[in-house]
Amino acid sequence: MYNSVKKKFKTLVLAVAAQGLLTSTVAFADESKYGFGRTATQEEIAGWDIDIRPDGQGLPAGSGSVADGEGLYEAKCASCHGLFGEGEGRWPVLAGGEGTLAHERPEKTVGSYWPYASTLWDYTRRAMPFTAPQSLTADETYAITAYVLYLNEIVDEEFVLSKENFSTIKMPNEPNFFEDDRPDVKNTTCMKDCKDPASIKVVSTIAGVTPLEHLEEGAAETAAEAASETTHGKAIYNQSCAVCHDHGVAGSPKTGDADAWGDRIATGTEMLVKRAITGYVGDEGVMPPKGGNMSLSDEDVAEAVHYMIEKSQ
Amino acid sequence: MKKLSENTTDLLQEIKTEASELPKNKRRDFMLNGLKLTAGTALATTVGQVAASQSNLPPNVPEWSKTLGRGVVSVPYGLPSSYESDVIRRTVEWLTADKIASISMTPLHEMSGIITPSGLHFERYHGGVPDINPNEHRLMINGMVDRPLLFTMDDLMRFPSESHIHFLECPANGGMEWRGAQMEALQFTHGMLSGSEWTGVRLSTLLQEAGIKPGAKWVLAEGADAAGMSRSIPIDKALDDTLIVFAQNGEMLRPEQGYPVRLFTPGWEGNTSVKWLRRIEVGDMPWEHREETSKYTDLLADGTARRHTFVQEVNSVITSPCPEKPIQGKGLLQLEGIAWSGRGKVKRVDVSLDGGVSWQTAKIKGLVLTKSLTRFSMEINWQGEPLLLQSRAIDETGYVQPTLAQLREARGTNSIYHKNSIHTWQVQTDGAVNNVQLG
Repeated sequence: MYNSVKKKFKTLVLAVAAQGLLTSTVAFADESKYGFGRTATQEEIAGWDIDIRPDGQGLPAGSGSVADGEGLYEAKCASCHGLFGEGEGRWPVLAGGEGTLAHERPEKTVGSYWPYASTLWDYTRRAMPFTAPQSLTADETYAITAYVLYLNEIVDEEFVLSKENFSTIKMPNEPNFFEDDRPDVKNTTCMKDCKDPASIKVVSTIAGVTPLEHLEEGAAETAAEAASETTHGKAIYNQSCAVCHDHGVAGSPKTGDADAWGDRIATGTEMLVKRAITGYVGDEGVMPPKGGNMSLSDEDVAEAVHYMIEKSQ
Repeated sequence: MKKLSENTTDLLQEIKTEASELPKNKRRDFMLNGLKLTAGTALATTVGQVAASQSNLPPNVPEWSKTLGRGVVSVPYGLPSSYESDVIRRTVEWLTADKIASISMTPLHEMSGIITPSGLHFERYHGGVPDINPNEHRLMINGMVDRPLLFTMDDLMRFPSESHIHFLECPANGGMEWRGAQMEALQFTHGMLSGSEWTGVRLSTLLQEAGIKPGAKWVLAEGADAAGMSRSIPIDKALDDTLIVFAQNGEMLRPEQGYPVRLFTPGWEGNTSVKWLRRIEVGDMPWEHREETSKYTDLLADGTARRHTFVQEVNSVITSPCPEKPIQGKGLLQLEGIAWSGRGKVKRVDVSLDGGVSWQTAKIKGLVLTKSLTRFSMEINWQGEPLLLQSRAIDETGYVQPTLAQLREARGTNSIYHKNSIHTWQVQTDGAVNNVQLG
């Protein structure tokens, strides 16, 4: 185990007390507290206690405008969520969908579904941007929250969101949530003649959506080969680059797409590594510096770029 | 090894004999491979495999009986046999935007008993698996407590611990099939489900250590991963059987399962068992964070949504036969499956061979534990009839696993979560098994 003690061998000299004279000073525990751990300081709590509640508890001082939020959103959020919150690829749609919840294909967005604005603030600070969570300041979080509320037509374009006015924001779908009241169905334990056999209609699967390659001959070898080619570059890629480059999100060249990479590779590996480190604005999209993950070293980025080039030739 | 030129006829005979023991759907490919041999285009490995498999069979003495094997600690942390390399977790790539916020499934068709090997436990991450140094990890308890506390891992492990066997299930298990069957494999229809022995300290012990203030009604559990995963748990559950878990199946948690410490809420939807646990806050109302509002709420057909849907209601599925494990031949068949309930023990499981017209009660195998996988079986004599196999579990509260039609009637088809309906496998006359739904 992680904390196993590495003992030195010692010659133990045992002082053996005569049997019956072992008057132990060890007491049986009879108190309600164990006394393990220590008091957490206010400073420690302040650093970790980042949660926000619907009543506004936890909001830090600060503010941000829709206008400030627009620039931040376009730089940090739009590559996955789309310029208007429409969502790129399979990344979450943030805006629109009002009035669709009872439709056959409901669109659950911040505006159409989320019951509380506090959830948006909390989640944005806690987990966004996806590749750099807990990197936004309080003011940035207010601004981005304000902008996403604006995309959903919940506030107007002049709005400035702050700790003071946060409680004035009401989300339209809040009244439509209710507490778990299951069981909501009641089946019986009928054992015989439970239905008319003639009434049974068998509906088969929709063909072609299940990954079944592993059930075919030779599949195990392929899987083993794929698993063995893990490199540092691949690991970095999976962690920080695949988010966009696996699917060609936000105009990014899709890994493995030789057509998309041909001209880029022609500019030279050095140039591609440089652009990946410092960021790049091209005709088709924006490459944020280090893919938005500033904790990566330049070497990490270079290895990931090498991996992508190798896969895309 | 037999030489192809001299023994082609013998080889063909062997291939025929072996093929006759295979199910029909595999037989065709096998015979095709054999025919390629006679055309002189066969791969040497194919010939080798067939010949080698004969040379290891009686009356011959197998090669592994004539040479010494590996010594102790040649593999200090043991691994499965290389012949089991296809027993692995798998994902369905189109389900999620990427692999960092995604899910993989347990190969239930290869599992025995009620414990899932830790390395095969299904995975669900919202921000990837963090690589946490346990010496630098802390668990904080704050909020409505007399004394906020900070624990090291060593501190936590000094408290009295308990071990319990429980299932863990993602509430989205089966969620791809509300509208219709589309997963042609048990691993994908039910594999967001695993069972383990979990060891840890009761959360109530730690809350008592901190001292809960009057008026406390909820706790927030928060992870140290990049998603800062957070869920609100009612205080009653926190003080009941909720554990602060550090070990799984006899060893420290795997990184994928929350190393070095996670919350565990027996019987509740997997997401509430927050992994990589860094903080518990005590409060007087739920936090309504993203994973309890935007996600993990159950949208109904009328546009309203159920929230705080914590319990995993009773569920069951037949694991053999299943699409990955077709029936091998006519005769006596050991039908087997698993059942589980988040409300307690599984009391009974019924099996239907005819799509729910008639039912028989199955035999419960092995341990029957609360909020745990429970195995059932039934022996049938199969003579090549087409079947519509179903299982229907009943738990100790008397709740009966519903039909899909009943669930759809009550909820529509957009709930995503908590689809615990009776599942149907269609067995064809050749023993192949398809995933179907009954209309």
